Amino acid sequence: MTDRSGLVGHEYPSYSFPVEHGKVREFALAVKNDDPVHHDVEAARAAGYPHLPVPPTFSAVTSHWAARGGLDVLGLDLKRVLAGGAEWEYLGDIVAGDVLTVRSRIADVLSKNGSRGPMTLVVTEYTFVNQREETVLRLRSTVIELGER
Amino acid sequence: MTESEAAVSTAPRNPSPEATTAAEATTAPMAPVPPDPSQGSPGYPVTAAPTRRIGPLTRTDFVRYAGAGGDFNPIHHDETFARAAGYPSVFGHGLLTAGVLGGYAAAWLGRRNLRRLTVRYVDQVWPGDTLVLTGEVLRSGGTPDGATEVEVTLTVHSEAAGRGPRLVLSGGATATYPAGRQRRET
Repeated sequence: MTDRSGLVGHEYPSYSFPVEHGKVREFALAVKNDDPVHHDVEAARAAGYPHLPVPPTFSAVTSHWAARGGLDVLGLDLKRVLAGGAEWEYLGDIVAGDVLTVRSRIADVLSKNGSRGPMTLVVTEYTFVNQREETVLRLRSTVIELGER
Repeated sequence: MTESEAAVSTAPRNPSPEATTAAEATTAPMAPVPPDPSQGSPGYPVTAAPTRRIGPLTRTDFVRYAGAGGDFNPIHHDETFARAAGYPSVFGHGLLTAGVLGGYAAAWLGRRNLRRLTVRYVDQVWPGDTLVLTGEVLRSGGTPDGATEVEVTLTVHSEAAGRGPRLVLSGGATATYPAGRQRRET
Protein backbone atom coordinates (compact mmCIF):
# COMPACT_ATOMS: atom_id res chain seq x y z
CA MET A 1 0.00 0.00 0.00
CA THR A 2 1.08 3.54 -0.59
CA ASP A 3 2.93 4.93 2.41
CA ARG A 4 1.32 8.23 3.27
CA SER A 5 2.75 8.77 6.73
CA GLY A 6 4.83 11.65 5.36
CA LEU A 7 1.60 13.58 4.78
CA VAL A 8 0.85 14.10 8.48
CA GLY A 9 0.74 17.84 9.09
CA HIS A 10 0.02 18.64 5.44
CA GLU A 11 -2.12 21.78 5.25
CA TYR A 12 -4.60 22.23 2.44
CA PRO A 13 -5.08 25.69 0.94
CA SER A 14 -7.74 27.48 3.00
CA TYR A 15 -10.90 28.54 1.22
CA SER A 16 -14.07 30.49 1.93
CA PHE A 17 -17.62 29.56 1.20
CA PRO A 18 -20.89 31.43 1.53
CA VAL A 19 -23.66 29.74 3.50
CA GLU A 20 -26.50 30.09 1.05
CA HIS A 21 -30.20 30.08 1.93
CA GLY A 22 -31.12 27.61 -0.81
CA LYS A 23 -28.24 25.30 0.04
CA VAL A 24 -29.33 25.08 3.67
CA ARG A 25 -32.83 24.01 2.61
CA GLU A 26 -31.50 21.62 -0.03
CA PHE A 27 -29.20 19.97 2.50
CA ALA A 28 -31.93 19.70 5.15
CA LEU A 29 -34.20 18.01 2.61
CA ALA A 30 -31.45 15.60 1.57
CA VAL A 31 -30.86 14.43 5.14
CA LYS A 32 -34.62 14.35 5.82
CA ASN A 33 -34.39 16.96 8.56
CA ASP A 34 -37.88 18.46 8.87
CA ASP A 35 -37.10 21.00 11.61
CA PRO A 36 -38.82 24.14 10.20
CA VAL A 37 -35.93 26.41 11.20
CA HIS A 38 -33.89 24.91 8.33
CA HIS A 39 -36.65 25.54 5.78
CA ASP A 40 -38.57 28.65 6.76
CA VAL A 41 -36.98 32.04 7.54
CA GLU A 42 -39.95 33.06 9.69
CA ALA A 43 -39.60 29.90 11.80
CA ALA A 44 -35.87 30.55 12.13
CA ARG A 45 -36.46 34.15 13.26
CA ALA A 46 -39.14 33.05 15.71
CA ALA A 47 -36.51 30.73 17.23
CA GLY A 48 -34.08 33.63 17.59
CA TYR A 49 -31.83 33.11 14.56
CA PRO A 50 -31.11 35.94 12.11
CA HIS A 51 -31.60 33.48 9.21
CA LEU A 52 -31.83 29.73 8.55
CA PRO A 53 -29.40 27.88 10.85
CA VAL A 54 -27.56 24.96 9.24
CA PRO A 55 -28.22 21.31 10.13
CA PRO A 56 -25.56 19.61 12.31
CA THR A 57 -23.59 17.95 9.50
CA PHE A 58 -23.87 20.81 6.98
CA SER A 59 -20.07 21.16 6.97
CA ALA A 60 -20.10 18.39 4.35
CA VAL A 61 -21.18 20.87 1.67
CA THR A 62 -17.92 22.77 1.92
CA SER A 63 -16.42 20.22 -0.45
CA HIS A 64 -18.33 22.09 -3.17
CA TRP A 65 -15.99 25.03 -2.57
CA ALA A 66 -12.75 23.22 -1.80
CA ALA A 67 -9.99 23.70 -4.33
CA ARG A 68 -10.43 21.00 -6.96
CA GLY A 69 -8.09 18.13 -6.56
CA GLY A 70 -7.65 18.96 -2.89
CA LEU A 71 -7.62 15.27 -2.03
CA ASP A 72 -5.17 14.44 -4.79
CA VAL A 73 -2.29 14.69 -2.38
CA LEU A 74 -3.64 11.46 -0.89
CA GLY A 75 -4.02 9.69 -4.24
CA LEU A 76 -6.91 7.60 -2.92
CA ASP A 77 -8.45 4.86 -5.06
CA LEU A 78 -12.19 5.58 -4.86
CA LYS A 79 -13.03 1.91 -5.39
CA ARG A 80 -11.34 1.12 -2.09
CA VAL A 81 -12.34 4.16 -0.07
CA LEU A 82 -14.84 4.07 2.79
CA ALA A 83 -15.91 6.78 5.20
CA GLY A 84 -14.62 5.85 8.64
CA GLY A 85 -16.25 8.37 10.91
CA ALA A 86 -16.42 11.97 11.99
CA GLU A 87 -16.65 14.19 15.03
CA TRP A 88 -18.20 17.65 15.02
CA GLU A 89 -17.60 20.15 17.80
CA TYR A 90 -20.15 22.99 17.82
CA LEU A 91 -18.83 26.33 19.06
CA GLY A 92 -21.35 28.80 17.64
CA ASP A 93 -24.33 29.27 15.36
CA ILE A 94 -23.91 29.12 11.59
CA VAL A 95 -26.73 30.72 9.59
CA ALA A 96 -27.49 31.51 5.96
CA GLY A 97 -25.60 34.65 4.96
CA ASP A 98 -22.47 33.74 6.91
CA VAL A 99 -19.20 33.39 5.05
CA LEU A 100 -17.01 30.63 6.46
CA THR A 101 -13.29 30.18 5.97
CA VAL A 102 -12.17 26.57 6.16
CA ARG A 103 -8.69 25.53 7.19
CA SER A 104 -7.79 21.87 7.08
CA ARG A 105 -4.82 19.66 7.66
CA ILE A 106 -4.00 15.98 7.73
CA ALA A 107 -3.84 15.17 11.43
CA ASP A 108 -2.96 11.50 11.29
CA VAL A 109 -2.28 8.59 8.95
CA LEU A 110 -2.59 5.12 10.48
CA SER A 111 -2.13 1.64 9.11
CA LYS A 112 -4.34 -1.07 10.59
CA ASN A 113 -5.36 -4.63 10.07
CA GLY A 114 -9.13 -4.80 10.35
CA SER A 115 -11.81 -7.36 9.59
CA ARG A 116 -11.46 -6.41 5.91
CA GLY A 117 -7.68 -6.82 5.84
CA PRO A 118 -5.00 -4.14 5.80
CA MET A 119 -6.24 -0.57 5.62
CA THR A 120 -5.01 2.99 5.85
CA LEU A 121 -6.87 5.54 7.96
CA VAL A 122 -6.44 9.22 7.12
CA VAL A 123 -7.68 11.70 9.73
CA THR A 124 -8.30 15.27 8.57
CA GLU A 125 -9.03 18.18 10.92
CA TYR A 126 -11.11 21.16 9.77
CA THR A 127 -11.66 24.52 11.45
CA PHE A 128 -14.52 26.80 10.35
CA VAL A 129 -14.19 30.53 11.07
CA ASN A 130 -16.98 33.00 10.23
CA GLN A 131 -16.84 36.55 8.87
CA ARG A 132 -16.49 37.91 12.45
CA GLU A 133 -13.37 35.78 13.03
CA GLU A 134 -15.31 33.51 15.40
CA THR A 135 -14.39 29.83 15.29
CA VAL A 136 -17.84 28.24 15.05
CA LEU A 137 -17.08 24.61 14.21
CA ARG A 138 -14.35 22.02 14.36
CA LEU A 139 -14.50 18.71 12.53
CA ARG A 140 -12.34 15.59 12.56
CA SER A 141 -13.04 13.21 9.74
CA THR A 142 -11.60 9.76 9.03
CA VAL A 143 -11.37 8.21 5.58
CA ILE A 144 -10.39 4.56 5.13
CA GLU A 145 -8.64 3.09 2.12
CA LEU A 146 -8.88 -0.70 2.04
CA GLY A 147 -5.93 -2.75 0.83
CA GLU A 148 -5.72 -3.78 -2.81
CA ARG A 149 -7.61 -6.98 -3.57
CA MET B 1 -28.38 -10.09 20.54
CA THR B 2 -25.92 -7.27 20.98
CA GLU B 3 -26.47 -4.43 23.37
CA SER B 4 -27.23 -2.02 20.56
CA GLU B 5 -29.75 -4.37 18.99
CA ALA B 6 -31.42 -4.64 22.36
CA ALA B 7 -31.69 -0.87 22.38
CA VAL B 8 -33.70 -0.97 19.16
CA SER B 9 -36.19 -3.54 20.33
CA THR B 10 -36.57 -2.62 23.97
CA ALA B 11 -36.00 1.13 24.18
CA PRO B 12 -39.01 2.62 25.89
CA ARG B 13 -40.93 4.88 23.59
CA ASN B 14 -40.91 8.36 24.96
CA PRO B 15 -43.62 10.76 24.05
CA SER B 16 -42.78 13.24 21.33
CA PRO B 17 -41.01 16.46 22.42
CA GLU B 18 -44.35 18.29 22.24
CA ALA B 19 -46.01 15.68 24.44
CA THR B 20 -43.10 15.82 26.89
CA THR B 21 -43.49 19.57 27.13
CA ALA B 22 -47.21 19.25 27.78
CA ALA B 23 -46.63 16.56 30.40
CA GLU B 24 -43.96 18.62 32.14
CA ALA B 25 -46.38 21.50 32.47
CA THR B 26 -48.41 19.41 34.91
CA THR B 27 -45.99 16.89 36.46
CA ALA B 28 -42.38 17.80 35.58
CA PRO B 29 -40.75 15.50 38.11
CA MET B 30 -37.60 14.75 36.13
CA ALA B 31 -36.57 17.83 34.20
CA PRO B 32 -34.91 20.55 36.29
CA VAL B 33 -34.20 22.60 33.17
CA PRO B 34 -37.46 24.22 32.08
CA PRO B 35 -38.41 23.41 28.54
CA ASP B 36 -37.77 26.14 26.03
CA PRO B 37 -39.62 25.52 22.77
CA SER B 38 -37.49 28.05 20.88
CA GLN B 39 -34.43 25.93 21.61
CA GLY B 40 -35.98 22.89 19.97
CA SER B 41 -35.63 20.95 23.19
CA PRO B 42 -37.95 19.78 25.92
CA GLY B 43 -35.24 20.27 28.55
CA TYR B 44 -32.40 17.90 29.11
CA PRO B 45 -33.09 14.24 28.49
CA VAL B 46 -33.14 11.72 31.27
CA THR B 47 -34.07 8.54 29.40
CA ALA B 48 -33.89 7.04 25.96
CA ALA B 49 -34.91 8.96 22.85
CA PRO B 50 -38.02 7.89 20.96
CA THR B 51 -36.98 5.43 18.26
CA ARG B 52 -37.38 6.87 14.77
CA ARG B 53 -37.53 5.12 11.40
CA ILE B 54 -36.53 6.85 8.14
CA GLY B 55 -36.94 5.14 4.80
CA PRO B 56 -36.88 2.95 2.89
CA LEU B 57 -34.02 4.85 1.25
CA THR B 58 -33.81 4.81 -2.53
CA ARG B 59 -31.07 5.41 -5.07
CA THR B 60 -32.73 8.77 -5.63
CA ASP B 61 -32.09 9.62 -1.96
CA PHE B 62 -28.39 8.83 -2.51
CA VAL B 63 -28.26 11.01 -5.64
CA ARG B 64 -30.05 13.84 -3.83
CA TYR B 65 -27.50 13.64 -1.03
CA ALA B 66 -24.61 13.57 -3.51
CA GLY B 67 -25.87 16.84 -5.00
CA ALA B 68 -26.64 18.48 -1.68
CA GLY B 69 -23.46 17.34 0.03
CA GLY B 70 -21.12 17.54 -2.94
CA ASP B 71 -19.75 13.99 -2.69
CA PHE B 72 -19.80 12.52 -6.19
CA ASN B 73 -17.83 9.37 -5.53
CA PRO B 74 -19.48 7.19 -8.22
CA ILE B 75 -19.67 4.28 -5.79
CA HIS B 76 -22.84 5.92 -4.42
CA HIS B 77 -24.71 6.40 -7.72
CA ASP B 78 -23.03 4.42 -10.51
CA GLU B 79 -24.08 0.74 -10.38
CA THR B 80 -21.43 -0.33 -12.88
CA PHE B 81 -18.67 1.34 -10.88
CA ALA B 82 -19.96 -0.11 -7.58
CA ARG B 83 -20.05 -3.66 -9.00
CA ALA B 84 -16.56 -3.29 -10.44
CA ALA B 85 -15.44 -2.37 -6.91
CA GLY B 86 -16.92 -5.62 -5.63
CA TYR B 87 -20.19 -4.39 -4.13
CA PRO B 88 -23.61 -5.85 -4.99
CA SER B 89 -24.98 -2.36 -5.73
CA VAL B 90 -24.47 1.30 -4.94
CA PHE B 91 -24.72 2.21 -1.27
CA GLY B 92 -25.52 5.33 0.72
CA HIS B 93 -22.98 7.94 1.79
CA GLY B 94 -21.87 7.61 5.40
CA LEU B 95 -22.59 11.32 5.67
CA LEU B 96 -26.19 10.74 4.57
CA THR B 97 -26.72 8.41 7.53
CA ALA B 98 -24.79 10.83 9.77
CA GLY B 99 -26.91 13.72 8.47
CA VAL B 100 -30.16 11.92 9.28
CA LEU B 101 -28.75 11.11 12.73
CA GLY B 102 -27.70 14.74 13.25
CA GLY B 103 -31.28 15.91 12.81
CA TYR B 104 -32.50 13.20 15.17
CA ALA B 105 -29.94 14.17 17.82
CA ALA B 106 -30.76 17.88 17.47
CA ALA B 107 -34.50 17.24 17.81
CA TRP B 108 -33.94 15.13 20.91
CA LEU B 109 -31.21 17.10 22.68
CA GLY B 110 -32.00 20.60 21.42
CA ARG B 111 -30.15 22.00 18.45
CA ARG B 112 -28.66 24.83 20.51
CA ASN B 113 -27.60 22.46 23.28
CA LEU B 114 -25.64 20.15 21.01
CA ARG B 115 -21.91 20.55 21.63
CA ARG B 116 -20.45 17.45 20.01
CA LEU B 117 -21.60 14.75 17.60
CA THR B 118 -19.52 11.67 16.86
CA VAL B 119 -20.17 8.98 14.28
CA ARG B 120 -18.37 5.79 13.34
CA TYR B 121 -19.54 3.98 10.23
CA VAL B 122 -19.92 0.25 10.80
CA ASP B 123 -21.64 -1.12 7.70
CA GLN B 124 -23.17 -0.06 4.40
CA VAL B 125 -26.69 1.23 3.86
CA TRP B 126 -28.19 -0.37 0.74
CA PRO B 127 -31.07 0.82 -1.45
CA GLY B 128 -34.31 -0.32 0.20
CA ASP B 129 -32.96 -0.10 3.74
CA THR B 130 -34.89 1.73 6.42
CA LEU B 131 -32.80 3.54 9.03
CA VAL B 132 -33.76 2.91 12.66
CA LEU B 133 -32.42 5.62 14.97
CA THR B 134 -32.06 5.25 18.71
CA GLY B 135 -30.44 7.22 21.51
CA GLU B 136 -29.80 6.58 25.16
CA VAL B 137 -28.49 8.74 27.96
CA LEU B 138 -25.09 7.52 29.08
CA ARG B 139 -24.44 9.96 31.91
CA SER B 140 -25.17 13.49 33.01
CA GLY B 141 -23.46 15.78 35.44
CA GLY B 142 -22.91 19.36 36.48
CA THR B 143 -20.23 21.66 35.13
CA PRO B 144 -18.33 24.24 37.24
CA ASP B 145 -20.56 27.06 35.95
CA GLY B 146 -23.74 25.29 37.03
CA ALA B 147 -24.77 23.92 33.64
CA THR B 148 -25.81 20.32 33.12
CA GLU B 149 -23.87 18.26 30.61
CA VAL B 150 -25.47 15.16 29.16
CA GLU B 151 -23.64 12.48 27.23
CA VAL B 152 -25.60 10.08 25.05
CA THR B 153 -24.99 7.12 22.77
CA LEU B 154 -26.60 7.09 19.34
CA THR B 155 -27.03 4.15 16.99
CA VAL B 156 -28.41 3.63 13.52
CA HIS B 157 -29.52 0.21 12.33
CA SER B 158 -30.64 -0.70 8.82
CA GLU B 159 -33.77 -2.80 8.36
CA ALA B 160 -34.91 -4.38 5.12
CA ALA B 161 -37.49 -6.94 4.11
CA GLY B 162 -36.16 -10.42 4.82
CA ARG B 163 -33.20 -9.19 6.86
CA GLY B 164 -32.84 -8.49 10.55
CA PRO B 165 -31.58 -5.12 11.70
CA ARG B 166 -27.86 -4.50 11.10
CA LEU B 167 -25.84 -1.92 12.99
CA VAL B 168 -24.62 0.60 10.39
CA LEU B 169 -23.51 3.52 12.55
CA SER B 170 -22.44 3.83 16.13
CA GLY B 171 -22.11 7.27 17.62
CA GLY B 172 -22.60 9.65 20.48
CA ALA B 173 -23.27 13.23 21.41
CA THR B 174 -22.73 15.71 24.20
CA ALA B 175 -25.24 18.44 25.02
CA THR B 176 -25.13 21.17 27.64
CA TYR B 177 -28.02 22.92 29.41
CA PRO B 178 -27.32 26.26 31.09
CA ALA B 179 -28.45 26.71 34.67
CA GLY B 180 -31.56 28.72 35.42
CA ARG B 181 -32.77 29.03 31.88
CA GLN B 182 -36.31 30.32 31.88
CA ARG B 183 -39.05 29.18 29.62
CA ARG B 184 -39.55 31.67 26.88
CA GLU B 185 -43.23 32.32 26.28
CA THR B 186 -43.64 32.18 22.53
